Amino acid sequence: MTAAAPSLPAILGPIRPRPRGRETRLLVIVAVTILVGSVSLELARRVTDPGESQGLSPANPLHLAIYLGLIGMAHVVLILSGRRMDQILLPATAMLGGISLLLMERLPQTQVVQSVGPWTLGLGDIQLAWLILSFSLATILAVTVRSDRWLRLYKYTWAAAGVGLLVATYFLGDDINGQRLSLSLGPISGQPAELLKVILVVFLAGYLSEYRPLLVEESTKVGPISLPPLPFLAPMVAMWAIALGLVVVQRDLGAALLFFTVFLCLLYAATGRVGYVVVGVVLFLAGSFVMYHLVATVQTRVDIWLDPFKSASGDGYQIVQSLYAFARGGLLGTGLGAGLPTVGGNLPIPAVHTDFPLAALGEELGLVGVMAILGLFLVVVERGLRIAASAADEFRALLAAGLALVIGTQALIIAAGNLKLIPLTGITLPFVSYGGSSLLVNGIIVGLLLALSDRGVEPPPPPRPRSRLARLTGRVTRLETPDRARAPLPPAREPGR
Amino acid sequence: MDPFLLTVWVVRLLFLGLLYLFLFRIARALVGDLRAAAREPGAELGRLVVVASPAGEPEEGTSLALDAIATLGRDVNNAIVIEDQFVSAEHAILTFRGRAWYLEDLGSTNGTFVNGAPVEGVAPLGFGDVIQLGQVRLRLERPRAARSGR
Repeated sequence: MTAAAPSLPAILGPIRPRPRGRETRLLVIVAVTILVGSVSLELARRVTDPGESQGLSPANPLHLAIYLGLIGMAHVVLILSGRRMDQILLPATAMLGGISLLLMERLPQTQVVQSVGPWTLGLGDIQLAWLILSFSLATILAVTVRSDRWLRLYKYTWAAAGVGLLVATYFLGDDINGQRLSLSLGPISGQPAELLKVILVVFLAGYLSEYRPLLVEESTKVGPISLPPLPFLAPMVAMWAIALGLVVVQRDLGAALLFFTVFLCLLYAATGRVGYVVVGVVLFLAGSFVMYHLVATVQTRVDIWLDPFKSASGDGYQIVQSLYAFARGGLLGTGLGAGLPTVGGNLPIPAVHTDFPLAALGEELGLVGVMAILGLFLVVVERGLRIAASAADEFRALLAAGLALVIGTQALIIAAGNLKLIPLTGITLPFVSYGGSSLLVNGIIVGLLLALSDRGVEPPPPPRPRSRLARLTGRVTRLETPDRARAPLPPAREPGR
Repeated sequence: MDPFLLTVWVVRLLFLGLLYLFLFRIARALVGDLRAAAREPGAELGRLVVVASPAGEPEEGTSLALDAIATLGRDVNNAIVIEDQFVSAEHAILTFRGRAWYLEDLGSTNGTFVNGAPVEGVAPLGFGDVIQLGQVRLRLERPRAARSGR
């Protein structure tokens, strides 16, 4: 750390460290907890394999030291940056990452094996490497992002990049993923969708903050029901179409569900109108119904969800094993490293490290542990919404709320899927699941949230003249006079720059 | 009981206990934040930040808390008094109606502008918008929440 210090002033100006006492105290608890967890893991190993040395020691001292050192360094960098940033996000996510590391060390290392040069890396090693990259990225973003112009002013560029990413995945998907996922794991189409969710939030925050006054004010009366203005339903329909497209083209149910949920949440957060949510839910139900009859994947997933035991050794195998794992865990769990009995040398749940980490944690930490982990996600969401509430303007507020909701919704979808509360969709449990792109994107989200929580480094840039909005605004005032009240609405158009 | 198994149990429960200690400490911090927010006087609905003010009254950089109705103009009876020769005595009125802010020009001589566009009738405002009266420019900002978590 000290080695990097002299070069910092050149980039960031003079260093004015600001103590972060609350974060320090919480991080100490994180370190102790992960250490105890590691010792618990090692003890569980000795129960089955006695005869090793006595005394307490962590399971993998090197991994543990590297991880805790990394978190400590992130903390020191945040102190040195001197910004008034949120002090709870880093400890909460560090705890989740630590639990992830413990889990990945505990699973059979042959689950994922990759050779880099002379070394052969197992599951735990690779996860540690991704955690290092993820938290480094979060820290770098938190310290360096001082302005949101580059996000705010180019929302349509970002949206175009996102769509381009989707198209590229569709046409070049196999090649790209063939290279990227030589780690050979889970849902391959999850890769670009991971980055896409951040892009989606940036675009929605930009769009909704610009058109919020109109979205709030106008309405179209259909009989007694007051609906949102029709031209502004266009983006909702577009969003809905993109979500359906994801399902049809990529069979990526999880991403589709996540995108649509986050979209509705943000729309409600921006306008406070229940009408939008009602329309959205109706659209969602209609879409689900059609998809169920059109797409075989959707039908399989729903059928498994309705009765997994009908095909307990076939399609429903994973979810049945997941339910068994939760049941074996009970209240306090079997203890880290003592659960997950192998079936013929294999884990009961093949995708336990990507899609079912909560099932593994549910077995080994029990109901009590799962509640604590869900509590950690709740804390992350609460911090995001708090950052949103104290933001200076609409864009930052919606961006912060959206980023936090992405993490919260994702955790909710996959946790509910593991517990058979909703049909299982293959997405990752943020910070806990194994997976590089997921961890990196979560790092980006935390970094941006931390940067956004520093109020008043740079005032929001002046909004662009609203020529288009002014025209529409003129229409609003005309509509208020009764004789023009029935004036036809202009046709829906894609909003121009 | 076998002391080794006892140790295993103790360490296991200690891990879960520490997880909850962590959550408890966070919960206490969050409650502290909420209390601090509740102690803040009067919930404001928005703020006006003075972006440019050649005449110096109000001063540039001043941040003014807004009530639901705020009149702007040169007359001393306005909620926000703007000393500028191009501003009328009763120039404009800002109102918070339900969910959003609205700006209305009160027949001023030189007009009122939102982000450079003249206001005709009642104009809805978003946070971050810049309004201009005479030579004075003001930015509408979200109400200040309690300083939290930092």
